[in-house]
Amino acid sequence: MSFQIPIGPQHPALKEPISLRMTVEGEVITGVDIRLGYNHRGLEKLAEDRNWIQNIYLTERICGICSHSHATCYVQGVERLMELAPPRRGLYIRYLIAELERIHSHLLWLGVAGHEAGFDSFFMYTWRDREVVMDLLEMISGNRVHYAINTIGGVRRDLDAGQIAKIQEGIVTLRKRSEYYFYIGANEPSFVARIAGVGYLSKENAVALCAVGPVARASGVARDVRKDDPWAVYDEVDFEVATADSCDVLGRVVVRVKELLESYKICEQLLKSLPAGDIAVKAPRKAKPGEVVSRYEAPRGENIHYIKANGTDKPERLKVRAPTLANYPATVEMLRKGFIADIPLIFAAIDPCICCAERTVTLIAAGSGEESVVRMSDLRRRAIARHQNAPVKRNAVWPL
Amino acid sequence: MKIAVFLPELLRHLFKKPATVDYPFKKLEVPKDFRGTPYLNPQMCIVCRACERDCPAEAIEISSVNEADKRFKMIIHNDRCIHCAQCIDSCPTTPKAMLMDSLFEIADDDRHKMKKDWIYVRAVLKPKAAAPASAPQAAEPKA
Amino acid sequence: MAALRTLLYLVVYPGLIFLFVYSTFCEWFDRKVYARLQNRMGPTHTGRFGLLQPIADFVKLLAKEDVVPEAADKRLFKVLPIIGLAVVSTAGLLLPVWNFDLAAPGFTSFSGDIIVVLYLLSLPTLILFLAAWSSANPFSTIGGARVLTMLFGYEVPLFLAVLGPAILADSWRLAEIAAFYQAKPLLLLTNLLGFIVAVIAVQAKLERTPFDIPHAETEIVGGTFTEYSGKKLALFRLTFDIEMVVSSGLLAAVFLGGFPGGAVVGFLHFVVKTLFVIFLLSLLRALTSRIRVDQVVSFAWKFLAPLAVLQLLVTILLKGLLS
Repeated sequence: MSFQIPIGPQHPALKEPISLRMTVEGEVITGVDIRLGYNHRGLEKLAEDRNWIQNIYLTERICGICSHSHATCYVQGVERLMELAPPRRGLYIRYLIAELERIHSHLLWLGVAGHEAGFDSFFMYTWRDREVVMDLLEMISGNRVHYAINTIGGVRRDLDAGQIAKIQEGIVTLRKRSEYYFYIGANEPSFVARIAGVGYLSKENAVALCAVGPVARASGVARDVRKDDPWAVYDEVDFEVATADSCDVLGRVVVRVKELLESYKICEQLLKSLPAGDIAVKAPRKAKPGEVVSRYEAPRGENIHYIKANGTDKPERLKVRAPTLANYPATVEMLRKGFIADIPLIFAAIDPCICCAERTVTLIAAGSGEESVVRMSDLRRRAIARHQNAPVKRNAVWPL
Repeated sequence: MKIAVFLPELLRHLFKKPATVDYPFKKLEVPKDFRGTPYLNPQMCIVCRACERDCPAEAIEISSVNEADKRFKMIIHNDRCIHCAQCIDSCPTTPKAMLMDSLFEIADDDRHKMKKDWIYVRAVLKPKAAAPASAPQAAEPKA
Repeated sequence: MAALRTLLYLVVYPGLIFLFVYSTFCEWFDRKVYARLQNRMGPTHTGRFGLLQPIADFVKLLAKEDVVPEAADKRLFKVLPIIGLAVVSTAGLLLPVWNFDLAAPGFTSFSGDIIVVLYLLSLPTLILFLAAWSSANPFSTIGGARVLTMLFGYEVPLFLAVLGPAILADSWRLAEIAAFYQAKPLLLLTNLLGFIVAVIAVQAKLERTPFDIPHAETEIVGGTFTEYSGKKLALFRLTFDIEMVVSSGLLAAVFLGGFPGGAVVGFLHFVVKTLFVIFLLSLLRALTSRIRVDQVVSFAWKFLAPLAVLQLLVTILLKGLLS
């Protein structure tokens, strides 16, 4: 007897609203229907009204955990449009923060995976150690989340010797704790029983469904933008792409912990060979007309920003393709034939950052339930027409 | 298969001090250069409006009170501020007119109470001078 | 006079008021130990050391709005929490704390009362299933199915493990079992395996990690408790707390030598021994992660039941040797 249970939009397993309608028979899932859009904020439209500098802060707020990756991807693109070459020291600091963000994101994910599996002690311990990274980031940039260290042409703040020493100490502590969590995660019998063999995604499916990030790497697909298309400092540091062959959630845990250890290596190399010099070059206010596609390896996978400029001080179009959006088709495949008890773990294993991925919209006619996909230009025309014809509501103006 | 691998670590923590801080009875120190709330040093401001232009949240509002006396009014809307410190980076004077302090416990139940405004006279800087030359008739910030 | 004494037993001690106060104290102890094991503080500010926190939670729940869903079976939905509370409180009356006379069996201590306590402690599982069934919600249905599936796993090892010491002591009366082991304390060590099996099985009965599948928060929202709110939820949570106290009292009476020494000393024994069992339960809760319901059943039948049978064999052999 099959019936549908709704996971979401409000559900304790999800940190953000998304609707997964599961068709189940007993405890086995036979079909999944993913519906997005609960977190849509209109960021791409907002970006067209703000100038290049203001957009750094806007793109940063697409997500809280991968905030630096969105800001950096955007700034990389704009620097290319304006033909700027940021100084070496600025680049080193920028990518040092990027690696620290990867560390914080993976520690957060380990805790969340433990919590979804019911392993609350593991959750508390990994988040306690994540505080070390958060304090380091606060010391460097002035804020624990949304570091805002990027500016067009380089970075805004510099590192002094005391800060460098503290970062190195922090990395030593974190490395010891990460190795301990690797040991626990792979050896605690009740935890391994939950995550081994769950959420299977074969290598062929991972390539066919365009999975990115640790999800693909855990199925043996060694795809990492830092190695495939190295830019800035990534061809000067020595690290390996972490892969696993088990194609299940245990593989994804292993890949993320291996990436943590690689990030510690990268941070130490960057700190040791930090060049002297300026941290930023002056950027013009307007960009020459052109378009650019910028790629970046966020903690969750490949992040793509497309920016089009038309000679003014505001972008004409900004399009964001976050990694979680690319992992949704793979998730549908993984959830099929799984148990209900495994839903939170499988979904958490792709490291969902749903607010990053709110970009496509399907219109469903309320009366007939019929779905259609509409082009952005048509939506824009319809919205402008509607606003011009509609009367202003009485209390629509917020008394700011 | 190892049973209870976690046990020694757990038992050790029974005798350690908790890692959580008893906020709000004990507070943690924020580091230097923490991005708290912005405030104006009116004596250095030359009203170039760079901060108003670059603020991502439209939190700075500069309006003219009296053109003849060169009196200007600046309101900083702390309820809209996103604490990014771009206003400080955009400010061209040396030493800076926009500064950042370490206050972060600024929550209030009415957003209109979180504004700060200044009425001042525009400073006129001599080239390569370190201090303002015009009369610093800056009023105190009205909170 | 006897009627007044009975009324005092029922309402004050060891009846409702004592069980309420003591179970909230045990919940505080469990939460504090769990927090310290995880390097956090636990309840700190309500009352001294946070002792009043569980009572504050209970009072808060009482004050919240109580919603009965449209499609639910209303009479069953409303009456189940009260039945649950009544059942576990009755089981609490049968613990041999000091309300018994060894020579003269009465209502609170009679031959066969160990079976009655085990039976009364199994009823909350059935009540949970009925609660899930009567709230017409897909999450509750799954929770109810899981509750019964788990029952197939842990019930048999629990019964076998608890009845082992009774066989050695040659009696089905809790007070006499406790008295037997008080006279010969060394024989308690022969029941160690049974104690371990019983602690794990009690953790499953109380639906705590690693067996908290029926109300797994991250999977099926609230499981059986999804539609309950307000006063009914408060009574359900109190039922679980009292069930924890009664189960640990049962384990302390059978495996740890009971509560000798009359009114005051017996009461101190009760507090210390039940807190020890609750400490073990909290440790088990912090140590492991949740396992799936099919894994519970296979774990119970592959490991717990054979170990309990082994314990029984050892007990029977020992009995033959001793007599």
